[in-house]
Amino acid sequence: MTQTTPEPGVDTGVGSRRSRVGAAGKVLGQLRHVADRPHGGCAHVAVHRSTRPHARITSIDVSEAAALDGVEGVVTGADLYKVLGDRMFTGPAFSDQPPLAVDRVRYVGEPVVAVLARDVATAREAAELVYVEYEDLEPIYDVADALAERAFVHDALRPSVVFGDLRHLSGKTETNIAYQYNLKLGDPESAATQGTSVGFEFWAPPVHHVPIELPATIGWVEADRLELYSTTQTPSYVRQSVADMLGLPLSHVRIRVAPLGGSFGSKMYDRLEPLIAALAWLHRREVRMVASREEAFLLTTRHGAGVISSMSADADGNLTSAIADVRYDTGAYADVGPRITAKSGMIAAGPYKIPNVAIRSRCIYTNKPSAGPFRGFGVPQVTWSHETLIDELARARGEDPAGFRRRNLLREGDESYMGTVMHSADFVGCLDAVTEAIGWDKPLDRGSGRWRRGRGVAVGIKAVLTPTVANAVLQLNQDGSATLMISTVDMGQGSDTIMPQIVAEVLSMDAERIRVVAVDTDVTPYDTITAGSRSTYHTGNAVRGVAERMRERLVDLAAKRAGGSSRDLKLTADGVLNTASGEVYRISELIHEHFGARGATLTEEFNYTTSWQPYDKETGRSAKATEHWFAGAVAVQLLVDRWTGRVRVEHLVVAGDVGRAINPTLVEQQLAGSAIMGLGHALFDELVFDQGQMLNSTLLDYQLPSVKDLPGKLTPIIIESPHATGPFGAKGVGETGIIPIAPAVANAVRDAVGVRITRLPLSPERVLQAMDEAGVEK
Amino acid sequence: MKLIQLTVNGRRYDVPVDDDELLLDVLRDKIGAYSVREGCGVGACGACTVLVGGTSVSSCLARAVRYDGAELTTADGLPEDDAVVTAFVESRAMQCGYCIPGFVLMAHELLAENPQPDREQIVAHLEGNICRCGTYQEICRAVEVAAERRARA
Repeated sequence: MTQTTPEPGVDTGVGSRRSRVGAAGKVLGQLRHVADRPHGGCAHVAVHRSTRPHARITSIDVSEAAALDGVEGVVTGADLYKVLGDRMFTGPAFSDQPPLAVDRVRYVGEPVVAVLARDVATAREAAELVYVEYEDLEPIYDVADALAERAFVHDALRPSVVFGDLRHLSGKTETNIAYQYNLKLGDPESAATQGTSVGFEFWAPPVHHVPIELPATIGWVEADRLELYSTTQTPSYVRQSVADMLGLPLSHVRIRVAPLGGSFGSKMYDRLEPLIAALAWLHRREVRMVASREEAFLLTTRHGAGVISSMSADADGNLTSAIADVRYDTGAYADVGPRITAKSGMIAAGPYKIPNVAIRSRCIYTNKPSAGPFRGFGVPQVTWSHETLIDELARARGEDPAGFRRRNLLREGDESYMGTVMHSADFVGCLDAVTEAIGWDKPLDRGSGRWRRGRGVAVGIKAVLTPTVANAVLQLNQDGSATLMISTVDMGQGSDTIMPQIVAEVLSMDAERIRVVAVDTDVTPYDTITAGSRSTYHTGNAVRGVAERMRERLVDLAAKRAGGSSRDLKLTADGVLNTASGEVYRISELIHEHFGARGATLTEEFNYTTSWQPYDKETGRSAKATEHWFAGAVAVQLLVDRWTGRVRVEHLVVAGDVGRAINPTLVEQQLAGSAIMGLGHALFDELVFDQGQMLNSTLLDYQLPSVKDLPGKLTPIIIESPHATGPFGAKGVGETGIIPIAPAVANAVRDAVGVRITRLPLSPERVLQAMDEAGVEK
Repeated sequence: MKLIQLTVNGRRYDVPVDDDELLLDVLRDKIGAYSVREGCGVGACGACTVLVGGTSVSSCLARAVRYDGAELTTADGLPEDDAVVTAFVESRAMQCGYCIPGFVLMAHELLAENPQPDREQIVAHLEGNICRCGTYQEICRAVEVAAERRARA
């Protein structure tokens, strides 16, 4: 690309379907990932892991491991504690997780001893030669054990300094509840005694993200500074976390990231980074760890969650009451579980107008691997509850489930039960689009023989992470190309493709001339995280802002050159145009002249920060709990095989309100991709534990959606209800599609064979069992 | 250590390997073929796929010593104007892109055996590869486009 202006007719700005940046390189496998860094001469790390769910460490014998040829070092949690003290406990909400267990293990698979060796095989062999003796403590396998309070995963709660609203929990003892969120509006108990009510107990099991790229972290010390090259969605967080742990100024920690081979929430906050940072710092050595797939399963999971809930409607079909008791199993370490508990708890009754609501949402410690963020941030688990309830309530009233939802859905300007007013959240538009596309009102052939056909629908709501901070630095090069510095990590969602489209739109440029710098905390500015579908809105606004500043700057330069005011000056694709005289000042000339140098750069920066109002202590409500909402809907048509219980999806329609699609192709891919991931959660994905031990942590045992699981037809639909303060009206879309999938599928199964299943996944065995229990003819 | 000879994308390499060294690690660490990637280590995801004499092999399960004298193709060795590669690019058949080289090689294997596969045959052939971003629709379309393009060429 050598032209300075776009080819006529080729628009690469906002709304264009420009091709993904580096598409050919991705297809050829030329895109470099973190683990591709050459590793001659570095030390490889392997970890000896706990074999007990909950135990005191009584002794560790590392002598055989240390004596093995090729081993450079063997490090225990006690060794780290001697140097780092309590600083070695890290975490985004609670500072409760050590990189290596100190005195006590809290789940099967927890890292206990780290070995550094000349190659991976030697390191792993040595890790097997470590002998640990334990004194068992009472294990807490699940939420019921935890709430019985016979034993405690932690002696005392240790909230991190990050969230002021968790401070009151500090030092609390004799509890397994890390955090509790309560919402109270009206009198839901008495309201539920009138009209029609339904209630169930739900379960959504823990599942795993399984991005195909394995987590990898490489660390070394250079000129007294710690450098990490790591697979993380949260480089700014990791820099702070590692700096805190090692007691270093932020200027002495550098985090670099390559584009990720998928993540979905798994590669964020503290994963391999604290251990590798500590080992590199203490050994003054380049150390490297690429997790095996089995280890990756242990690093984080999606919260298994139970919900006991009910919903009621009056004689006119208006919702009157909703009650939900939500229990997130957060495992041995809280990670961001407390945030998930509140953000999901506050919308656990769904996107509906309900005058009386009571919600209790709890984040509960157990002796299992730590659960953390996963595409949807806890919301799919509560959506599983509210979208089943409303479906069954409609059926109990003899009403069409889509029509019943439509009557009760929140609309623009409505205040939700949790206190925040709805804007740019077109639930009705999404529902109408999916029902129309699936032919909801057309007669359905119910199937014959062993096959029965059904349709189902579900709606989803999620709040964007708030408050957060985004920054952008834009460097306009003298030749008219531009370099954009942001700390958003491209992990397949396409930020490196769409952010230049925003710049291109503002500066009337060709997006092909704009490149995003790979994240490097020495260079790219602070950005809270790449997660929660927040980047298009937040970082997108920072990018829009910086591009606008650059436009003003160019106009100023042109005004100076013209020796007058900027009144008649306007930036166009050819340069700054004087609309009065018709004269054009080319960007390359303006910058060249300003600096008197070819190749000079003009730099601007912009910050975009959002704010919120904390939840009211009594009611849990907030007038501004979130900067904006995600709205989505799904409709499914499927066949159930009555002989085997197997479900075959014929057509899946997924709609998301994205405000404005910056790149419609990428939006459709996010909607379709999250729908396929969601189908796995609906039909077969599940981590299986026995006495705290994960049983299916290999891809031979853990089933993922393959091309064979693609629905007969998959239709993504973009709904655009522009957000007043979004960049060109835009919002994110990474999670919107996944949220309503499982209940839409279960509602369709209910429609097909008449059984209501409240435990995920809808495996053939579970469907058959439900049909047996209901006496459905086979 | 044994010295073996591998021909990778038409170039000959003499590489010393241990008996238990994986073809995956040899290709990445000794030849620099980083398009070959570990995803599961048990031959269940397809990210480490290579073609050996045109046949797909999961290099995470393959001992390198057994491939002495073999001719291998990895995705990074394909020309940019390769019909399958251009079809994947134009069909937008990638999100994060990590798994895509494996799919590209599976498509090559399929089209060599069956130049005009129908959708069912495409699905059956790609079943062992996982795209966690869920780009399967575009991938299937890309294989169809590549087949059409090769038929015309």
